[in-house]
Amino acid sequence: MDSMIIGRYLPLNSFIHKRDPRLKIGLLLLFLIAVFFDAGFIGYGILAAYVILCLLLSKISFKDVMKAMKPMIVMMLFLALFNLLFLNTGSVVCTLGPVKIYSGALKQTAYILIRLILIISMTTLLTACTKPLDLTLGLEKLFGPLKKVGFPTHEIAMMISIALRFIPTLLEETQRIMKAQASRGVDFQEGTFKEKVSAIVSLIIPLFISAFMRADDLANAMESRNYNPEATRTRYHQVKWNLGDTLSLVVSLVVISSVIALSFIL
Amino acid sequence: MSIEFKKVNYIYGENTPFSYIALKDVSLKIPQGSFTALIGHTGSGKSTLIQHINALLLPSNGEVDIDEFVIRAGEKPEVLKPLRKKAGLVFQFPEYQLFEETIEKDIIFGPMNFGMSEEDAKERAHKVLNLVGLDETYLDRSPFELSGGQKRRVAIAGILSMEPDILVLDEPTAGLDPQGAKEMLELFKKFQESGKTVIMVSHDMNHVLKYCDHVVVMNHGEVERYCDVDELFSERDYLESMSIDLPVITDFIQELNMGGFHINPSIKDIDELVNAIGGEYNG
Repeated sequence: MDSMIIGRYLPLNSFIHKRDPRLKIGLLLLFLIAVFFDAGFIGYGILAAYVILCLLLSKISFKDVMKAMKPMIVMMLFLALFNLLFLNTGSVVCTLGPVKIYSGALKQTAYILIRLILIISMTTLLTACTKPLDLTLGLEKLFGPLKKVGFPTHEIAMMISIALRFIPTLLEETQRIMKAQASRGVDFQEGTFKEKVSAIVSLIIPLFISAFMRADDLANAMESRNYNPEATRTRYHQVKWNLGDTLSLVVSLVVISSVIALSFIL
Repeated sequence: MSIEFKKVNYIYGENTPFSYIALKDVSLKIPQGSFTALIGHTGSGKSTLIQHINALLLPSNGEVDIDEFVIRAGEKPEVLKPLRKKAGLVFQFPEYQLFEETIEKDIIFGPMNFGMSEEDAKERAHKVLNLVGLDETYLDRSPFELSGGQKRRVAIAGILSMEPDILVLDEPTAGLDPQGAKEMLELFKKFQESGKTVIMVSHDMNHVLKYCDHVVVMNHGEVERYCDVDELFSERDYLESMSIDLPVITDFIQELNMGGFHINPSIKDIDELVNAIGGEYNG
Protein backbone atom coordinates (compact mmCIF):
# COMPACT_ATOMS: atom_id res chain seq x y z
CA MET A 1 0.00 0.00 0.00
CA ASP A 2 1.88 2.97 -1.25
CA SER A 3 -0.94 5.44 -1.44
CA MET A 4 -1.83 7.80 1.33
CA ILE A 5 -5.48 7.34 2.11
CA ILE A 6 -7.75 9.69 3.98
CA GLY A 7 -8.04 8.33 7.47
CA ARG A 8 -4.73 6.53 7.61
CA TYR A 9 -2.67 6.86 10.76
CA LEU A 10 0.99 7.80 10.36
CA PRO A 11 3.05 6.66 13.32
CA LEU A 12 5.29 9.66 13.98
CA ASN A 13 6.14 11.23 17.26
CA SER A 14 5.19 14.88 17.12
CA PHE A 15 3.61 17.59 19.24
CA ILE A 16 0.28 17.01 17.50
CA HIS A 17 0.49 13.24 17.90
CA LYS A 18 0.88 13.67 21.64
CA ARG A 19 -2.19 15.86 22.15
CA ASP A 20 -5.23 14.57 23.95
CA PRO A 21 -7.67 13.03 21.45
CA ARG A 22 -10.56 14.94 23.04
CA LEU A 23 -8.76 18.19 22.36
CA LYS A 24 -8.07 17.27 18.75
CA ILE A 25 -11.65 16.16 18.04
CA GLY A 26 -13.13 19.19 19.78
CA LEU A 27 -10.85 21.61 17.97
CA LEU A 28 -11.57 19.98 14.63
CA LEU A 29 -15.29 20.50 15.22
CA LEU A 30 -14.74 24.17 16.11
CA PHE A 31 -12.45 24.57 13.13
CA LEU A 32 -15.09 23.14 10.81
CA ILE A 33 -17.62 25.62 12.17
CA ALA A 34 -15.18 28.51 11.73
CA VAL A 35 -14.51 27.48 8.12
CA PHE A 36 -18.14 28.16 7.28
CA PHE A 37 -18.16 31.68 8.71
CA ASP A 38 -17.60 34.19 5.98
CA ALA A 39 -14.64 36.18 7.24
CA GLY A 40 -13.39 37.07 3.79
CA PHE A 41 -10.03 36.15 2.43
CA ILE A 42 -8.34 37.52 5.54
CA GLY A 43 -10.26 35.02 7.64
CA TYR A 44 -9.29 32.16 5.36
CA GLY A 45 -5.71 33.42 5.40
CA ILE A 46 -5.71 33.14 9.20
CA LEU A 47 -7.21 29.64 9.09
CA ALA A 48 -4.76 28.53 6.40
CA ALA A 49 -1.88 29.80 8.53
CA TYR A 50 -3.31 27.83 11.44
CA VAL A 51 -3.47 24.64 9.31
CA ILE A 52 0.09 25.17 8.13
CA LEU A 53 1.27 25.65 11.70
CA CYS A 54 -0.45 22.40 12.72
CA LEU A 55 1.08 20.61 9.75
CA LEU A 56 4.55 21.81 10.63
CA LEU A 57 4.09 20.75 14.24
CA SER A 58 2.79 17.32 13.15
CA LYS A 59 5.90 16.47 11.06
CA ILE A 60 3.57 15.25 8.33
CA SER A 61 4.76 16.33 4.92
CA PHE A 62 2.71 18.54 2.62
CA LYS A 63 3.16 15.84 0.03
CA ASP A 64 1.20 13.34 2.11
CA VAL A 65 -1.65 15.79 2.59
CA MET A 66 -1.65 16.44 -1.15
CA LYS A 67 -1.93 12.72 -1.75
CA ALA A 68 -4.93 12.55 0.57
CA MET A 69 -6.49 15.39 -1.39
CA LYS A 70 -6.05 13.65 -4.74
CA PRO A 71 -9.23 11.53 -4.72
CA MET A 72 -11.25 14.67 -3.96
CA ILE A 73 -9.96 16.65 -6.92
CA VAL A 74 -12.67 15.46 -9.29
CA MET A 75 -15.37 16.46 -6.85
CA MET A 76 -13.73 19.84 -6.31
CA LEU A 77 -13.57 20.52 -10.04
CA PHE A 78 -17.18 19.46 -10.43
CA LEU A 79 -18.31 21.83 -7.67
CA ALA A 80 -16.16 24.64 -9.02
CA LEU A 81 -17.56 24.24 -12.51
CA PHE A 82 -21.16 24.25 -11.39
CA ASN A 83 -20.69 27.28 -9.23
CA LEU A 84 -18.93 29.19 -11.97
CA LEU A 85 -21.60 28.43 -14.52
CA PHE A 86 -24.79 28.73 -12.56
CA LEU A 87 -24.27 31.47 -9.97
CA ASN A 88 -25.25 34.88 -11.23
CA THR A 89 -24.71 37.40 -8.49
CA GLY A 90 -22.52 40.48 -8.82
CA SER A 91 -21.36 41.87 -12.13
CA VAL A 92 -20.41 40.03 -15.30
CA VAL A 93 -16.67 39.51 -15.40
CA CYS A 94 -16.34 37.87 -18.77
CA THR A 95 -18.47 36.24 -21.43
CA LEU A 96 -17.56 32.98 -23.12
CA GLY A 97 -20.09 32.55 -25.91
CA PRO A 98 -23.45 31.94 -24.27
CA VAL A 99 -21.90 31.62 -20.79
CA LYS A 100 -21.54 34.62 -18.54
CA ILE A 101 -19.30 34.44 -15.53
CA TYR A 102 -20.20 36.69 -12.65
CA SER A 103 -17.92 38.15 -10.00
CA GLY A 104 -20.11 36.64 -7.26
CA ALA A 105 -19.63 33.21 -8.80
CA LEU A 106 -15.86 33.66 -8.88
CA LYS A 107 -15.79 34.58 -5.21
CA GLN A 108 -18.14 31.79 -4.24
CA THR A 109 -16.10 29.20 -6.17
CA ALA A 110 -12.89 30.36 -4.55
CA TYR A 111 -14.59 30.09 -1.15
CA ILE A 112 -15.78 26.55 -1.82
CA LEU A 113 -12.37 25.37 -2.97
CA ILE A 114 -10.62 26.99 -0.03
CA ARG A 115 -13.13 25.52 2.40
CA LEU A 116 -12.74 22.03 0.96
CA ILE A 117 -8.96 22.21 1.01
CA LEU A 118 -8.95 23.45 4.62
CA ILE A 119 -11.43 20.81 5.74
CA ILE A 120 -9.64 17.93 4.05
CA SER A 121 -6.21 18.96 5.34
CA MET A 122 -7.46 19.34 8.88
CA THR A 123 -9.35 16.04 8.96
CA THR A 124 -6.40 14.25 7.37
CA LEU A 125 -4.25 15.78 10.06
CA LEU A 126 -6.54 14.49 12.80
CA THR A 127 -6.61 10.91 11.55
CA ALA A 128 -2.94 10.86 10.58
CA CYS A 129 -1.89 12.02 14.05
CA THR A 130 -4.34 10.11 16.23
CA LYS A 131 -4.45 6.36 16.63
CA PRO A 132 -7.88 5.01 15.65
CA LEU A 133 -8.39 3.62 19.14
CA ASP A 134 -7.51 6.96 20.73
CA LEU A 135 -10.01 8.59 18.42
CA THR A 136 -12.85 6.40 19.60
CA LEU A 137 -11.74 6.76 23.19
CA GLY A 138 -11.79 10.52 22.70
CA LEU A 139 -15.24 10.38 21.14
CA GLU A 140 -16.56 8.23 23.93
CA LYS A 141 -15.23 10.66 26.55
CA LEU A 142 -16.51 13.69 24.69
CA PHE A 143 -20.00 12.23 24.40
CA GLY A 144 -19.83 10.83 27.92
CA PRO A 145 -22.22 13.40 29.41
CA LEU A 146 -24.89 12.36 26.89
CA LYS A 147 -25.01 8.95 28.53
CA LYS A 148 -27.20 10.49 31.23
CA VAL A 149 -29.95 11.17 28.70
CA GLY A 150 -29.84 7.62 27.37
CA PHE A 151 -27.48 8.14 24.46
CA PRO A 152 -25.63 4.85 23.81
CA THR A 153 -22.14 6.37 23.90
CA HIS A 154 -20.32 3.15 24.65
CA GLU A 155 -22.09 1.12 21.99
CA ILE A 156 -21.41 3.73 19.35
CA ALA A 157 -17.77 4.04 20.35
CA MET A 158 -17.47 0.25 20.25
CA MET A 159 -19.05 0.12 16.81
CA ILE A 160 -16.71 2.79 15.51
CA SER A 161 -13.66 1.13 16.96
CA ILE A 162 -14.62 -2.25 15.51
CA ALA A 163 -15.22 -0.65 12.12
CA LEU A 164 -11.86 1.14 12.28
CA ARG A 165 -10.13 -1.98 13.52
CA PHE A 166 -11.29 -3.95 10.50
CA ILE A 167 -10.36 -1.43 7.83
CA PRO A 168 -6.75 -2.64 7.55
CA THR A 169 -7.85 -6.27 7.84
CA LEU A 170 -10.31 -5.88 5.00
CA LEU A 171 -7.76 -4.00 2.92
CA GLU A 172 -5.32 -6.82 3.44
CA GLU A 173 -7.99 -9.34 2.57
CA THR A 174 -8.84 -7.37 -0.58
CA GLN A 175 -5.23 -7.45 -1.67
CA ARG A 176 -4.95 -11.15 -0.94
CA ILE A 177 -8.03 -11.98 -2.98
CA MET A 178 -6.94 -9.67 -5.78
CA LYS A 179 -3.64 -11.50 -5.93
CA ALA A 180 -5.33 -14.89 -5.85
CA GLN A 181 -7.64 -13.91 -8.69
CA ALA A 182 -4.79 -12.25 -10.61
CA SER A 183 -3.06 -15.63 -10.42
CA ARG A 184 -6.13 -17.06 -12.15
CA GLY A 185 -5.74 -14.62 -14.99
CA VAL A 186 -7.91 -11.73 -13.82
CA ASP A 187 -6.68 -8.37 -14.99
CA PHE A 188 -7.83 -5.66 -12.59
CA GLN A 189 -6.31 -2.81 -14.56
CA GLU A 190 -7.28 -3.38 -18.15
CA GLY A 191 -9.95 -5.14 -20.13
CA THR A 192 -13.35 -4.56 -21.64
CA PHE A 193 -16.32 -3.48 -19.57
CA LYS A 194 -17.55 -7.07 -19.32
CA GLU A 195 -14.16 -8.31 -18.15
CA LYS A 196 -14.01 -5.53 -15.59
CA VAL A 197 -17.39 -6.48 -14.18
CA SER A 198 -16.32 -10.09 -13.90
CA ALA A 199 -13.06 -9.01 -12.25
CA ILE A 200 -14.95 -6.99 -9.66
CA VAL A 201 -17.42 -9.80 -8.99
CA SER A 202 -14.53 -12.20 -8.42
CA LEU A 203 -13.25 -9.80 -5.77
CA ILE A 204 -16.45 -8.61 -4.11
CA ILE A 205 -18.07 -11.98 -3.46
CA PRO A 206 -15.16 -13.60 -1.62
CA LEU A 207 -14.64 -10.34 0.25
CA PHE A 208 -18.24 -10.21 1.47
CA ILE A 209 -18.18 -13.86 2.45
CA SER A 210 -15.06 -13.45 4.51
CA ALA A 211 -16.31 -10.20 6.07
CA PHE A 212 -19.52 -11.89 7.21
CA MET A 213 -17.57 -14.84 8.53
CA ARG A 214 -15.31 -12.51 10.48
CA ALA A 215 -18.29 -10.63 11.87
CA ASP A 216 -19.80 -13.90 13.00
CA ASP A 217 -16.54 -15.05 14.60
CA LEU A 218 -16.11 -11.75 16.36
CA ALA A 219 -19.67 -11.81 17.71
CA ASN A 220 -19.12 -15.32 19.02
CA ALA A 221 -15.80 -14.37 20.57
CA MET A 222 -17.37 -11.37 22.31
CA GLU A 223 -20.31 -13.39 23.56
CA SER A 224 -18.14 -16.17 24.88
CA ARG A 225 -16.23 -13.54 26.86
CA ASN A 226 -19.53 -12.35 28.27
CA TYR A 227 -19.42 -8.95 26.63
CA ASN A 228 -22.08 -6.70 28.03
CA PRO A 229 -22.34 -3.15 26.73
CA GLU A 230 -24.10 -1.98 29.86
CA ALA A 231 -21.36 -3.09 32.22
CA THR A 232 -19.17 -0.37 33.68
CA ARG A 233 -15.66 -0.84 32.46
CA THR A 234 -12.26 0.50 33.29
CA ARG A 235 -9.63 1.37 30.75
CA TYR A 236 -6.06 0.25 30.55
CA HIS A 237 -5.37 3.19 28.33
CA GLN A 238 -6.21 6.52 29.98
CA VAL A 239 -6.31 9.88 28.31
CA LYS A 240 -4.45 12.56 30.21
CA TRP A 241 -4.73 16.28 29.83
CA ASN A 242 -1.48 18.18 30.23
CA LEU A 243 -0.01 21.63 29.90
CA GLY A 244 0.63 21.22 26.17
CA ASP A 245 -3.05 20.53 25.68
CA THR A 246 -4.08 23.62 27.63
CA LEU A 247 -1.69 25.79 25.62
CA SER A 248 -2.91 24.36 22.32
CA LEU A 249 -6.49 24.87 23.40
CA VAL A 250 -5.88 28.53 24.26
CA VAL A 251 -4.00 29.31 21.05
CA SER A 252 -6.54 27.49 18.90
CA LEU A 253 -9.50 29.14 20.60
CA VAL A 254 -7.95 32.56 20.06
CA VAL A 255 -7.42 31.84 16.34
CA ILE A 256 -10.82 30.33 15.76
CA SER A 257 -12.79 32.89 17.74
CA SER A 258 -10.93 35.75 16.08
CA VAL A 259 -11.99 34.41 12.69
CA ILE A 260 -15.59 34.11 13.83
CA ALA A 261 -15.48 37.61 15.35
CA LEU A 262 -14.00 38.92 12.11
CA SER A 263 -16.92 37.54 10.17
CA PHE A 264 -19.33 39.62 12.26
CA ILE A 265 -17.27 42.79 11.93
CA LEU A 266 -16.95 42.51 8.15
CA MET B 1 13.81 -24.12 -18.35
CA SER B 2 14.05 -23.16 -14.72
CA ILE B 3 13.29 -20.54 -12.14
CA GLU B 4 16.15 -18.27 -11.33
CA PHE B 5 16.42 -15.47 -8.78
CA LYS B 6 19.39 -13.16 -9.28
CA LYS B 7 20.23 -10.98 -6.29
CA VAL B 8 16.62 -10.15 -5.61
CA ASN B 9 15.66 -7.62 -2.96
CA TYR B 10 12.11 -6.80 -2.10
CA ILE B 11 11.08 -3.89 0.09
CA TYR B 12 7.48 -3.41 1.20
CA GLY B 13 6.27 0.18 1.29
CA GLU B 14 9.50 1.63 -0.08
CA ASN B 15 10.02 5.28 0.91
CA THR B 16 7.33 5.27 3.59
CA PRO B 17 7.63 5.12 7.38
CA PHE B 18 6.39 1.50 7.09
CA SER B 19 9.19 0.36 4.78
CA TYR B 20 10.29 -3.19 5.46
CA ILE B 21 12.88 -5.34 3.73
CA ALA B 22 11.27 -8.71 3.04
CA LEU B 23 13.89 -10.24 0.76
CA LYS B 24 17.62 -9.63 0.97
CA ASP B 25 19.91 -10.57 -1.89
CA VAL B 26 18.09 -13.75 -2.78
CA SER B 27 19.83 -15.86 -5.43
CA LEU B 28 18.35 -19.23 -6.28
CA LYS B 29 18.08 -21.57 -9.21
CA ILE B 30 15.26 -24.08 -9.09
CA PRO B 31 15.54 -26.69 -11.86
CA GLN B 32 12.62 -27.86 -13.91
CA GLY B 33 10.91 -31.00 -12.67
CA SER B 34 11.98 -30.63 -9.06
CA PHE B 35 9.79 -30.67 -5.96
CA THR B 36 11.22 -27.92 -3.80
CA ALA B 37 10.18 -27.21 -0.25
CA LEU B 38 10.37 -23.69 1.12
CA ILE B 39 10.73 -23.61 4.87
CA GLY B 40 11.36 -20.95 7.49
CA HIS B 41 9.59 -19.11 10.26
CA THR B 42 6.62 -16.81 9.84
CA GLY B 43 7.84 -13.54 8.40
CA SER B 44 10.99 -15.04 6.91
CA GLY B 45 9.97 -14.02 3.40
CA LYS B 46 8.58 -17.28 2.01
CA SER B 47 5.31 -15.83 0.79
CA THR B 48 7.07 -12.77 -0.62
CA LEU B 49 9.45 -15.04 -2.50
CA ILE B 50 6.77 -17.16 -4.13
CA GLN B 51 4.80 -14.13 -5.26
CA HIS B 52 7.76 -13.18 -7.44
CA ILE B 53 7.37 -16.39 -9.40
CA ASN B 54 4.23 -15.21 -11.19
CA ALA B 55 5.06 -11.51 -10.98
CA LEU B 56 2.44 -10.58 -8.42
CA LEU B 57 5.32 -8.78 -6.76
CA LEU B 58 8.09 -7.22 -8.80
CA PRO B 59 11.62 -7.18 -7.38
CA SER B 60 12.89 -3.91 -5.89
CA ASN B 61 16.37 -4.87 -7.08
CA GLY B 62 17.69 -7.76 -9.09
CA GLU B 63 16.08 -10.04 -11.60
CA VAL B 64 13.79 -13.04 -11.71
CA ASP B 65 13.89 -15.39 -14.72
CA ILE B 66 11.10 -17.87 -15.24
CA ASP B 67 11.96 -19.79 -18.37
CA GLU B 68 11.83 -17.22 -21.15
CA PHE B 69 10.22 -14.55 -18.96
CA VAL B 70 12.62 -12.02 -17.51
CA ILE B 71 11.43 -9.70 -14.77
CA ARG B 72 13.87 -6.96 -13.90
CA ALA B 73 13.63 -4.41 -11.12
CA GLY B 74 12.20 -1.11 -12.27
CA GLU B 75 10.72 -2.50 -15.48
CA LYS B 76 7.04 -3.13 -15.87
CA PRO B 77 6.63 -6.54 -17.51
CA GLU B 78 4.68 -6.29 -20.76
CA VAL B 79 2.92 -9.61 -20.77
CA LEU B 80 1.72 -11.02 -17.49
CA LYS B 81 -0.98 -13.45 -18.56
CA PRO B 82 1.27 -16.09 -20.20
CA LEU B 83 3.50 -16.04 -17.13
CA ARG B 84 0.53 -16.36 -14.77
CA LYS B 85 -0.71 -19.30 -16.81
CA LYS B 86 2.71 -20.93 -16.74
CA ALA B 87 3.18 -20.52 -12.99
CA GLY B 88 0.02 -21.45 -11.11
CA LEU B 89 0.03 -20.03 -7.61
CA VAL B 90 -2.12 -21.52 -4.86
CA PHE B 91 -2.35 -19.16 -1.92
CA GLN B 92 -2.74 -20.15 1.68
CA PHE B 93 -6.38 -21.03 2.37
CA PRO B 94 -7.29 -20.84 -1.32
CA GLU B 95 -10.90 -21.71 -0.48
CA TYR B 96 -11.46 -17.98 0.07
CA GLN B 97 -11.03 -17.26 -3.61
CA LEU B 98 -14.12 -19.24 -4.68
CA PHE B 99 -16.95 -17.05 -5.91
CA GLU B 100 -18.97 -18.65 -8.70
CA GLU B 101 -22.44 -20.19 -8.38
CA THR B 102 -21.28 -23.64 -9.35
CA ILE B 103 -18.08 -25.54 -8.88
CA GLU B 104 -17.75 -26.07 -12.61
CA LYS B 105 -17.94 -22.34 -13.31
CA ASP B 106 -15.33 -21.67 -10.67
CA ILE B 107 -12.91 -24.24 -12.06
CA ILE B 108 -13.23 -22.97 -15.64
CA PHE B 109 -12.80 -19.36 -14.53
CA GLY B 110 -8.98 -19.53 -14.73
CA PRO B 111 -8.65 -21.35 -18.06
CA MET B 112 -11.22 -19.05 -19.67
CA ASN B 113 -9.37 -15.98 -18.46
CA PHE B 114 -6.37 -17.36 -20.29
CA GLY B 115 -8.38 -17.58 -23.47
CA MET B 116 -9.54 -21.19 -23.55
CA SER B 117 -12.92 -22.02 -25.07
CA GLU B 118 -15.74 -22.88 -22.70
CA GLU B 119 -16.07 -26.43 -24.00
CA ASP B 120 -12.40 -27.28 -23.60
CA ALA B 121 -12.39 -25.70 -20.18
CA LYS B 122 -15.41 -27.75 -19.09
CA GLU B 123 -13.77 -30.91 -20.30
CA ARG B 124 -10.73 -30.06 -18.28
CA ALA B 125 -12.86 -29.23 -15.24
CA HIS B 126 -14.17 -32.81 -15.26
CA LYS B 127 -10.64 -34.14 -15.41
CA VAL B 128 -9.15 -32.05 -12.62
CA LEU B 129 -12.13 -32.54 -10.34
CA ASN B 130 -11.45 -36.27 -10.50
CA LEU B 131 -7.77 -35.62 -9.90
CA VAL B 132 -8.48 -33.79 -6.64
CA GLY B 133 -10.74 -36.61 -5.54
CA LEU B 134 -14.24 -35.27 -6.12
CA ASP B 135 -16.68 -36.86 -8.55
CA GLU B 136 -18.74 -35.27 -11.31
CA THR B 137 -21.87 -34.88 -9.21
CA TYR B 138 -20.11 -31.91 -7.63
CA LEU B 139 -19.90 -29.92 -10.84
CA ASP B 140 -23.33 -28.33 -10.52
CA ARG B 141 -23.23 -27.75 -6.80
CA SER B 142 -22.44 -24.43 -5.17
CA PRO B 143 -18.90 -24.25 -3.79
CA PHE B 144 -20.27 -22.62 -0.64
CA GLU B 145 -22.12 -25.69 0.55
CA LEU B 146 -18.95 -27.79 0.74
CA SER B 147 -16.82 -28.53 3.77
CA GLY B 148 -13.56 -26.65 4.25
CA GLY B 149 -11.46 -29.50 2.92
CA GLN B 150 -13.63 -29.95 -0.15
CA LYS B 151 -13.51 -26.21 -0.88
CA ARG B 152 -9.74 -26.43 -0.76
CA ARG B 153 -9.82 -29.22 -3.33
CA VAL B 154 -12.05 -27.20 -5.63
CA ALA B 155 -9.78 -24.18 -5.33
CA ILE B 156 -6.71 -26.28 -6.16
CA ALA B 157 -8.60 -27.82 -9.07
CA GLY B 158 -9.19 -24.27 -10.29
CA ILE B 159 -5.44 -23.75 -10.52
CA LEU B 160 -4.63 -27.21 -11.92
CA SER B 161 -7.18 -26.65 -14.69
CA MET B 162 -4.93 -23.87 -16.00
CA GLU B 163 -2.36 -26.61 -16.72
CA PRO B 164 0.57 -24.66 -15.31
CA ASP B 165 4.16 -25.82 -15.87
CA ILE B 166 5.08 -24.62 -12.41
CA LEU B 167 2.85 -25.16 -9.41
CA VAL B 168 3.52 -22.95 -6.41
CA LEU B 169 1.75 -23.85 -3.19
CA ASP B 170 1.62 -21.84 0.03
CA GLU B 171 0.99 -24.29 2.84
CA PRO B 172 -1.51 -26.31 0.86
CA THR B 173 -2.23 -28.75 3.68
CA ALA B 174 -2.74 -26.27 6.55
CA GLY B 175 -5.93 -27.18 8.35
CA LEU B 176 -6.55 -30.42 6.46
CA ASP B 177 -6.95 -33.74 8.23
CA PRO B 178 -3.96 -36.13 7.85
CA GLN B 179 -5.72 -38.29 5.26
CA GLY B 180 -6.78 -35.28 3.20
CA ALA B 181 -3.28 -33.82 3.45
CA LYS B 182 -1.76 -37.06 2.23
CA GLU B 183 -4.09 -37.22 -0.75
CA MET B 184 -3.28 -33.66 -1.72
CA LEU B 185 0.46 -34.20 -1.44
CA GLU B 186 0.28 -37.36 -3.49
CA LEU B 187 -1.58 -35.41 -6.13
CA PHE B 188 1.19 -32.80 -6.21
CA LYS B 189 3.79 -35.56 -6.41
CA LYS B 190 2.01 -37.09 -9.38
CA PHE B 191 1.89 -33.67 -10.99
CA GLN B 192 5.65 -33.31 -10.51
CA GLU B 193 6.32 -36.78 -11.88
CA SER B 194 4.66 -35.72 -15.12
CA GLY B 195 7.61 -33.37 -15.61
CA LYS B 196 6.28 -30.23 -13.92
CA THR B 197 7.99 -28.14 -11.26
CA VAL B 198 6.45 -27.91 -7.80
CA ILE B 199 7.40 -25.42 -5.11
CA MET B 200 5.72 -25.78 -1.76
CA VAL B 201 5.84 -23.74 1.42
CA SER B 202 5.54 -26.15 4.32
CA HIS B 203 5.92 -26.33 8.07
CA ASP B 204 5.64 -30.09 8.24
CA MET B 205 9.07 -31.68 7.92
CA ASN B 206 7.54 -35.13 7.51
CA HIS B 207 5.91 -33.93 4.31
CA VAL B 208 9.17 -32.30 3.21
CA LEU B 209 11.06 -35.55 3.73
CA LYS B 210 8.54 -37.72 1.99
CA TYR B 211 7.63 -35.63 -1.04
CA CYS B 212 10.32 -33.04 -1.75
CA ASP B 213 13.76 -33.40 -3.26
CA HIS B 214 15.20 -29.93 -2.67
CA VAL B 215 14.73 -27.59 0.21
CA VAL B 216 15.21 -23.85 0.67
CA VAL B 217 15.56 -22.51 4.20
CA MET B 218 14.64 -18.85 4.60
CA ASN B 219 15.53 -16.74 7.58
CA HIS B 220 14.94 -12.99 7.95
CA GLY B 221 14.49 -12.54 4.22
CA GLU B 222 17.64 -14.41 3.26
CA VAL B 223 18.14 -17.84 1.77
CA GLU B 224 20.21 -19.64 4.38
CA ARG B 225 20.36 -23.07 2.85
CA TYR B 226 19.49 -24.48 -0.52
CA CYS B 227 20.30 -28.17 -0.73
CA ASP B 228 18.98 -31.70 -0.99
CA VAL B 229 16.44 -32.72 1.58
CA ASP B 230 18.73 -35.49 2.91
CA GLU B 231 21.57 -33.05 3.31
CA LEU B 232 19.49 -30.62 5.34
CA PHE B 233 18.12 -33.25 7.67
CA SER B 234 21.63 -34.54 8.39
CA GLU B 235 22.43 -31.16 9.99
CA ARG B 236 20.83 -31.83 13.32
CA ASP B 237 22.50 -28.95 15.16
CA TYR B 238 21.64 -26.37 12.53
CA LEU B 239 18.00 -27.43 12.51
CA GLU B 240 17.92 -27.28 16.27
CA SER B 241 19.35 -23.76 16.21
CA MET B 242 16.56 -22.80 13.82
CA SER B 243 14.06 -24.67 16.00
CA ILE B 244 12.95 -26.80 13.07
CA ASP B 245 11.87 -30.29 14.08
CA LEU B 246 13.39 -33.26 12.31
CA PRO B 247 10.99 -35.59 10.53
CA VAL B 248 9.90 -38.35 12.88
CA ILE B 249 11.57 -41.08 10.80
CA THR B 250 14.88 -39.26 10.38
CA ASP B 251 14.96 -38.37 14.05
CA PHE B 252 14.37 -42.01 14.96
CA ILE B 253 17.10 -43.27 12.61
CA GLN B 254 19.59 -40.74 13.89
CA GLU B 255 18.91 -41.71 17.47
CA LEU B 256 19.28 -45.39 16.60
CA ASN B 257 22.55 -44.65 14.83
CA MET B 258 23.83 -42.70 17.81
CA GLY B 259 23.10 -45.80 19.83
CA GLY B 260 25.27 -47.93 17.54
CA PHE B 261 23.01 -48.87 14.64
CA HIS B 262 24.11 -48.32 11.04
CA ILE B 263 20.95 -47.46 9.21
CA ASN B 264 20.89 -45.42 6.03
CA PRO B 265 19.74 -41.99 7.26
CA SER B 266 18.06 -41.11 3.97
CA ILE B 267 15.29 -43.68 4.40
CA LYS B 268 11.97 -41.90 3.96
CA ASP B 269 9.44 -44.59 4.41
CA ILE B 270 8.29 -46.58 7.40
CA ASP B 271 8.31 -49.91 5.53
CA GLU B 272 11.84 -49.40 4.32
CA LEU B 273 12.92 -48.51 7.83
CA VAL B 274 11.36 -51.62 9.28
CA ASN B 275 13.15 -53.67 6.63
CA ALA B 276 16.45 -51.98 7.40
CA ILE B 277 16.09 -52.71 11.10
CA GLY B 278 15.26 -56.29 10.14
CA GLY B 279 11.85 -56.53 11.72
CA GLU B 280 8.36 -57.11 10.55
CA TYR B 281 5.62 -54.56 10.43
CA ASN B 282 2.17 -55.53 11.49
CA GLY B 283 0.33 -52.40 10.55
